[in-house]
Amino acid sequence: MNELNFLSKYLPEPSTWDEMFNSDCKIRSPYQKIINYLSSESLEELNKKEELARKLFMTQGITFTVYNSGEGIEKIFPFDIIPRIITAQDWELIEKGIKQRLKALNIFLKDIYSNMFIVKDGVIPIEMITSCPHFLREMYQVKVPHDIYVHIAGIDLIRDYDGSFYVLEDNLRTPSGVSYMLENREITKRLFPDLLPQCQVRSVTQYPEILYRNLLAISPRQISNPTIVLLSPGIYNSAYFEHTTLARLMGVELVEGRDLLVENHKVYMKTTNGRQQVDVIYRRVDDEYLDPLTFNPQSILGVAGIMSAYRKGNVAIVNAVGNGVADDKAIYTYVPQMIKYYLNEEPLLKNVPTYQLGDTEQKEYVFSNISKMVIKKTNGSGGYGMLMGHTADQKEIEDYKSEIEKDPRQYIAQPTISLSAAPCFLDSQLHPRRIDLRPFALCGPDGIEIVPGGLTRVALKEGSLIVNSSQGGGSKDTWVLAS
Amino acid sequence: MLSRVAANLYWLSRYVERSDGILRMLKIHYASSQDSLQPFSWAPVMKIYSGLEEDLLRAIEYNSREVLLYMFSGKDNQNSIVNIITLARENARSVQDHIPKDLWQCLNEYYHLVKDQRLIHSLKRDDPTSVLDELIRQVMLYYGIAEITMVRGEGRSFMNIGKYLERSIQSADILDIKPENNQNNPDLLSGTSYLKYLLLSLGAYDLYFKTYRRGFDIENVVDLVVLNNDFPRSVLYSVNNIYRYFERLKANKNILDFKELSFIIGRLQSMIQYSTVESITQQGLHPYLAQIKKELYSIGNTLNAQYFAYS
Repeated sequence: MNELNFLSKYLPEPSTWDEMFNSDCKIRSPYQKIINYLSSESLEELNKKEELARKLFMTQGITFTVYNSGEGIEKIFPFDIIPRIITAQDWELIEKGIKQRLKALNIFLKDIYSNMFIVKDGVIPIEMITSCPHFLREMYQVKVPHDIYVHIAGIDLIRDYDGSFYVLEDNLRTPSGVSYMLENREITKRLFPDLLPQCQVRSVTQYPEILYRNLLAISPRQISNPTIVLLSPGIYNSAYFEHTTLARLMGVELVEGRDLLVENHKVYMKTTNGRQQVDVIYRRVDDEYLDPLTFNPQSILGVAGIMSAYRKGNVAIVNAVGNGVADDKAIYTYVPQMIKYYLNEEPLLKNVPTYQLGDTEQKEYVFSNISKMVIKKTNGSGGYGMLMGHTADQKEIEDYKSEIEKDPRQYIAQPTISLSAAPCFLDSQLHPRRIDLRPFALCGPDGIEIVPGGLTRVALKEGSLIVNSSQGGGSKDTWVLAS
Repeated sequence: MLSRVAANLYWLSRYVERSDGILRMLKIHYASSQDSLQPFSWAPVMKIYSGLEEDLLRAIEYNSREVLLYMFSGKDNQNSIVNIITLARENARSVQDHIPKDLWQCLNEYYHLVKDQRLIHSLKRDDPTSVLDELIRQVMLYYGIAEITMVRGEGRSFMNIGKYLERSIQSADILDIKPENNQNNPDLLSGTSYLKYLLLSLGAYDLYFKTYRRGFDIENVVDLVVLNNDFPRSVLYSVNNIYRYFERLKANKNILDFKELSFIIGRLQSMIQYSTVESITQQGLHPYLAQIKKELYSIGNTLNAQYFAYS
């Protein structure tokens, strides 16, 4: 009905992979059904759907609070109603590629905190490891249950102009966003009734059950009913909604640092009936804040003495402490070598070419091509502290350069990758906007499982390449097709 | 159950109950102000619920709209509806995994409702009663949902202890109001009209007339609001329920703590049960209520020390 004026303003961007249109400006077949569905609705209906989505997020409290002059304002993370679709074929590659990568990274962590074979064999220079602020000597020779370090990973993938997938970042510490994968799906079910089964979309609802089963399996005490808790920094954390959702879906206790105490190298929670021993902690508190006795002494988010309990093997911590050394952006460069070294396999997913600014030659090259580069801090996240070479002005570049000179090891550079674009419903029109993909992988004693789906983040500003929610990004439901 | 969770549930419940009490009282007093030929003073009401300083209080006591706004959204009023519902929601937020999703959504909606600027506008210009009714309906919805969805477990016991503790304190407070409005309204029976509004704000008006079949007199009001076993807002009924839900927390592990608090509640219960209107009159209503409140506060403090303390 309204197909013409609905799609009329949709102009695929040049030299960008468009998820919906192929190079002949024809709709790719996976998107055909949803476009038909949208075309049969009036614009008014679509605007209503958008409003409904906003209301659903609001009443369910899927919000974060911004504090302004003492008053809290409730905000929702922007949600775009048009789903992002991944074909069964693409998913197969993603799944295999992530499994391979995680397998290698897990062995790497085990190796680096015990024998350091990879260093002794000259694959990674020792300076790369020791100069990483997230390499924790406290973890040396600590035995973790089933040798699993990365229980939950959120690996960020992007697509270059030819549609091939690249790994942008390995998030191996406390990746967030999985509640949005689950909630976006629930909301899409309400927005587009009956469309999911028609399109053969695979389910994502099993995520909490898999995670729960894995948490149970790593309890150090072999008892029938171990106590599992989710450790949150508290209600002022922007991901607090996620913490409550996961705790509720798994039926585990949601605790804060002040609810726990350590005595005699055992962790207990304070209940109305006295103390109860804790066996497994799924923590959403960073390493640095976990134990004021071992790490940041100012921290009130953690639990004093928890590291001693961990080292004694009396409590399992998920993800393991010290994982930051493996998702550091400088170590990232070596992941393809790790895969060859540990698994003797060719990497299935490509790395984005990365220049180490700690290396003088590479630094010179980056500086002379700075307009084509994105420069990042090796331990940064959330889209902060980045320099986008193609948009920055001269002064920004000079300031950034002098920052780099203070400690070049803390920076890497990557050529600007364009990110694929997908249709978004904005101002009653479809517009292409840049997206990435974060699938969530779960590792347990029985292997690695990846729920078919993930979080698709979208840069809602026109032309923007930054998808982080803190920088005006939103999200979409992510459909993985069964066939 | 985590001590923190128990504390959150208890406070969540106290704040919701408090908002209910305040809203009902505002509604009835506003209606009362419409009956008044002389300037109507809100001072007695404001003294109970806000820590407003005397001169500020005197500045607005005759301005109903100002008072309503202050009681509803006054930023520096600790007990303004907006402030206590914000606190109720924060408590609920950190125990979302312990309350049914419906209950959380109801509280979340209540919060978004009180934050809606439309209400402020209506309180300034339109009919305030409609606004108050809309809010009261939200509380009733909350109680309905709690009733049909909450597991009959430890969490609900802490919530009910909070609810009845708050309610008994409120009933005692309301009864303790000293009327300042010497209404010389020839159409109303002077001196007793404040008793009528007192009964109305507690929802006791119908029951009062069914029980006593006479005009308003303070002895009968005390009998109903303090000593009645069946009236859901009487002090005795509330204290009986505190005892009832506290009994359910009995567990072998904390038997000593349990006994101490059980003793305090039981003592208060007996003190009220073995009072009569005559003995209260003899002792003086104000000292009697002061003693009840002191005991109620000590129940709150002991709960805090023995069940909620983090250390």
